[in-house]
Amino acid sequence: MTAKRKVFAISSPGGHWIQLTRLCAGLEAEHEIVYALPDKLFKPKRDQKIYSVIDVSADDKWKLIPCAFQVGYILLKERPQVILSTGAAPGVVAILLGKLLRIRTIWIDSIANVQKISRSGELVKNRADVFLTQWEHLSDQQHVLFKGSVL
Amino acid sequence: MIFVAVGTQFPFDRLIRCVDEWALAQGVEVVAQIATGEYLPTHARYERFMTTEVFNQTLYTASLIISHAGMGNIITAIESSKPIIVMNRQYELGEHRNNHQADGLEWMAKLPGVYTAKTCEDLTALLDQHETLQAGGQVGIERRQNLINFIDQAIRA
Repeated sequence: MTAKRKVFAISSPGGHWIQLTRLCAGLEAEHEIVYALPDKLFKPKRDQKIYSVIDVSADDKWKLIPCAFQVGYILLKERPQVILSTGAAPGVVAILLGKLLRIRTIWIDSIANVQKISRSGELVKNRADVFLTQWEHLSDQQHVLFKGSVL
Repeated sequence: MIFVAVGTQFPFDRLIRCVDEWALAQGVEVVAQIATGEYLPTHARYERFMTTEVFNQTLYTASLIISHAGMGNIITAIESSKPIIVMNRQYELGEHRNNHQADGLEWMAKLPGVYTAKTCEDLTALLDQHETLQAGGQVGIERRQNLINFIDQAIRA
């Protein structure tokens, strides 16, 4: 077993976040996880480190800029070895910054995307070090991998 | 009590109106989370947004969940052993920015304890037999563990 890693986990609120936290629940014992979430309604558990970042979606793209500054700041401060995201826009921001900072990046496309890879997923498909779909039929078994799903 | 929730991203008046009108006619207690919807329930108690705490508490008290076809509510309902009816947002009606909720409906219907409706008529038909709707068991535990194990290896690589 290799050593414990520091992982930065980020997603949009709602379904992306539920999926991310369910996966991270199985990783928390093995790794140090730092979260970021654009949701004021969420109250973290006492032992969770969660940064709040500005919400951004495809409808308000200009917010990508302040969001990128916040995520960049957290990455420089926390220096994670790995970035993990289930999407959507905040995850894209983190993955792109991660590439810039030479941090290993892992994308898990949301299980809600059954027919095709999500729009945010398409943006990072060729950039993430590991790109996972939760649907076997969407895997190309080379770059887009299927290894299981939250449900 | 029946809990209907539309998520935080968009309104879903078609769903809220349908449940509210049914509940008024039947005299059933409903709590609704309506986001930025314009339709304000006349019968159901409602809030626009809920903290995770209030959301979970309301869900815990409910006997049935009704939701937009969003993964968050589906996963939470399954984990809480509550039956859930989902109605998909339609891109054509301006209810979402694409049609992935419609795409997902077919496989969601295969999940135990998850019931699906495309229209208010479908939904009303399910609601009329709401006392017979059963929660499913936990699903995909092995699939989830496989994914976690792979991610763990990918993190260490």
